[in-house]
Order: sequence, then C-alpha cells, then structure tokens
Amino acid sequence: MHESVQKIKESIIEGRHKEIESLVREICKTGIDLDTVIQEGLIAAMDVVGQKFGAGELFVPEMMVSAMTMKLGLNIVKPLLTGKAGAPKGTVLMGTVKGDLHDIGKNIVIMMLEGAGFQVIDLGVDIDVEKVVAKVIEIRPQVLGLSALLTTTMPEMKRVIEELGARGLRDRVKVMVGGAPVDAAFAEKIGADGYGKDAAQAMALARSFVGL
Amino acid sequence: MKATSYNLFMSALYGGRKGIRPPAGNPTSIACVELMKACGAFFPEAHLNARAMADLALVGHELAGFDTVMPEYSVHQESAALGCEMDWGNETRMPDAKTAPHMDFSDVIVPESILEKPSLRVVLDALSILRREVGGQVAIIGKVMGPWTLAYHMAGTQNFLLQLGLGEKDKINRMLRQLMPVTIAFANAQFRAGADAVVLADHATGNLVGPYHYRDYLLPIHQEITARVGGPMILHVCGNCLDRLELFAESGVDAYHFEWQVDAKAAVEKIGDRISLIGNLNNPKTLFQGTPEDVYKQARYSIEAGVDIIGPECAVPLTTPLANLRAISAAVLDGY
Repeated sequence: MHESVQKIKESIIEGRHKEIESLVREICKTGIDLDTVIQEGLIAAMDVVGQKFGAGELFVPEMMVSAMTMKLGLNIVKPLLTGKAGAPKGTVLMGTVKGDLHDIGKNIVIMMLEGAGFQVIDLGVDIDVEKVVAKVIEIRPQVLGLSALLTTTMPEMKRVIEELGARGLRDRVKVMVGGAPVDAAFAEKIGADGYGKDAAQAMALARSFVGL
Repeated sequence: MKATSYNLFMSALYGGRKGIRPPAGNPTSIACVELMKACGAFFPEAHLNARAMADLALVGHELAGFDTVMPEYSVHQESAALGCEMDWGNETRMPDAKTAPHMDFSDVIVPESILEKPSLRVVLDALSILRREVGGQVAIIGKVMGPWTLAYHMAGTQNFLLQLGLGEKDKINRMLRQLMPVTIAFANAQFRAGADAVVLADHATGNLVGPYHYRDYLLPIHQEITARVGGPMILHVCGNCLDRLELFAESGVDAYHFEWQVDAKAAVEKIGDRISLIGNLNNPKTLFQGTPEDVYKQARYSIEAGVDIIGPECAVPLTTPLANLRAISAAVLDGY
C-alpha cells in the first residue's frame, strides 16, 4: 500500500483529527487515484475501527472521533472526484422510529455509511410510519435503516415494514434494523432484510444490499 | 434472622446470613401500567407528587411481592433541578429532558438550595412517607444519578462522548467534579429522609464506553462518593460490564445491579463475595415479551448461580405484565 495512504488509514483509526486534512491534501497533490485514497485509506480505516469496536478494543467515543476524522478527509477528496468515482454508492434513508428519541447509535451508523460512500438522508428521531413511507416514495432509497432503543418502540419497525408492503413498496427498498433491544430473530420475525448488531455490521449490510 | 422483607434484603445486600429465601429487589423502577391502575397513581403525577410516588412504590411490594420499595422512576429528577427543560411523559412514556443546558461545557453552578427544588423534594418526601408506613418491614431504596449520567444530561450524551473521545480530560473532569456534590448531597438527604440503601446510577454503560474510561475518570469519583455518603450504595451501570466488574468492586459500593447480558454465573465467579450482586432478569425478551414461566425459569437460574438479590436488570418497560413481575417473587419464595 502507498505509504501516505497507510498514514491516512492509521490517522483515522487513531482519531488524529488535527492532521488528517493536511495528509489528505498532500496525497491528493501527488496525482494518486482518488478512489484508492477513499477505498484503501478512508473506508478501510473505518472497517478496522468497526472490527475493533466489535472486539471491545475501542468504544463509542473513539469511534465517533474516527468517524469525524474520516469525514474531514472525505470532505477534501469529494470535490475532486469526477464522473463515476464521485457518484454515491447508494442512498440510505435512516431514522429512529415513532416514540423513540434516541439517536446516538443511528448517528454513528450514518457516519459510517457516509464514510463508505453512501448518500444518507437522516429523518431524525420519533418518526411516524406515514413520514417514513412518504420519504421512501419521494427519495427512492435503496436501503431504509430503522433504529429503536426502547423495547416499547420496537413494534413501530414492524408497522413500517407492513405499511411498505401494503403500499406495494416493499420490494423497492431493503430494510435494516438495529438498536439495543433488537436482535436478528426480531428482525426476521418482522420481515426486515437484515439486522446490524453495531455500526460496522450496519455498514456491511448496506454494502451487501447494493452489491458492494 | 426473621424472614421479613427488610431483613432478607439488608442481609443479602451486605453478604450476610442467608435467610429462608433470597429477596426480590428493584434498584430501578418496576412501575408498570397495571401497577399504576391498581393504586391509581399514574405517570407523570408519580414523578411529581410524593403521595403518588409512594403509592406506586408500595404496590410493588403489596401486589408484585418485591421485598423493596423504590419511589424514583425517572433518571431526570436531578437534571430537572439543574435546569433541563423536561417532558415528564405519560403512563406509557418515561420522562425525557428536552434541553442540555451546558452543551458548551460551561461551569455548572449548583444552587445551594438544590434539595428544595421540587423534583428532588418530592423524592425525599416520598421516602419519608414510605419510612412512616413500611419502615423496618420492607427495605426502602432511594436512587441518585452519578456525575457521569448527570454530565450526559448537562452536555448532551453524544457531545459528552465526543469530548471524551477527543481526550478533553480537563473539560470532562471539571464537569464531573462540579456535578459530584449533587450526587452526594441527594444521597445523604435520601438516607436522612428514610432510605435504607441508595442506588448510584451512573451510565458508563458497557458497549458505549470502555473499562478504561471508567477506571480513569469515574472510579476515583465513585470512591469519593461512597466515602462521603453515609449508608450502603448499590451501583447501577447498564450494558455488558463483565470487563469492569472488578473495578466496580473497588468503588466502595455494597452491591452492583447488573444486566442479563452478563451471565449470572460469570458475574458471581468474577466478583466473589467482594460485593453483592443484584439482577439480572432480561427486560425486553423475558419480562416484557415472555411468559411468567419464562421469568420464573430465568429467576431460578440467577438464584442458583448465586446472585444475592433477584430483580429486573433495569427499569422495566411500562407495559410489562404484572404477572411477569409476580413470577420473580414466586421464584424467590421457592427458596435457595
């Protein structure tokens, strides 16, 4: 791997947010393939961060700083991208379901998805079924991510999926669910396409949904 | 030892003599809609009115069969007193703070009269009511938020965690130190008002932050809190905290209230008799969605693993069936 790309990767893994912009600016001047910078530097770094999080080697504070660092780097590369390389990998609609005001997990997933090259539309928290469905119709995302932290709001996920089915929209969008009380069995029971245990899994799911 | 609720709970809290059965205890809320209907004390009134608060706590003993009464159901009594705008919720929705007044990590000035702020006074009054009505028979549990949880409320959880990740040690420590006196003052006031034990809820939650965060930032503060608070304290930290149980044992608390994510046998093995363990029935799957038989089975697993006091892992979902709460007391009635 190009030494500077490796430096960028390490900088993100270690959350050295103060140095990332100059590192990325420097490497962009060398005429390197920018997709390499993104794939092998920025995205590969977040993959490592996700793995370390899954293994309990680092936690949400460090993950947030890595994601922030990655985004600072991405903001420098993005305007330089042209043609296909600049196009988003897909569109993901994200929201916390009705009755639930928790958004940290959702926000971390969004950071990871943006880092992975997705365009993400954040609907926010306490989002009712009607609004989700209206946005699916309007934006036509490839992936819909639903989050819930409360046991009592989990059933809202099922309601969203049922409503998508009733409107004939279910085949148009892959639905992934996550949040503390949610698990794979619940996801399957309500007819979701996948469950992400953490942000890294959510990112991997979204990638698989768009064939990456 | 007489097998009263009070005796069984207090002895188990200190790791003392075993009575004829383990106690059922609730360091966090077991308030549910069925209990509210049974006593006529509903949310949000039961967060704001001492009589309603106490009545709802009492039915946890009288109808659900717990050996403890715990009258504080929200995590926002202190943050309301410290200036957060509150949405006190309703009978199926827990309270939430609408604002975080110190997002900029500006100094938190604790009012001298903070114990007289309505959201704290009401808890103290409810504890005094319980002391008058069931003191010495049923163990009365109070609850305070630790500085870590209060810092989430003051600075916003995501913002606080980001500053932690950015290594802003001075900012973090200053805020924790400014909030610590609230925890100490409220805990001591709760003992004076009638609590037999006080829960120290401080959400350095497993999966959210690491054991090294707890060790570096919070352990010295918890040691200072437990040294300056007069009575026994029960630490409550959510999430899978198996990786920091031994640190909790060094904090000076008498017990740790833990979640189902930590296997009861593993917890007992790791902690030995250094502190008592309370828990750890699964809320979302077993208590909320399971049957009384499922609850009974899990409770028996925890008893057989050696957990000292049996109860839900955290505040139960508000629509938890009362029959499932009763299954916990049925499990403890069958003894060791």
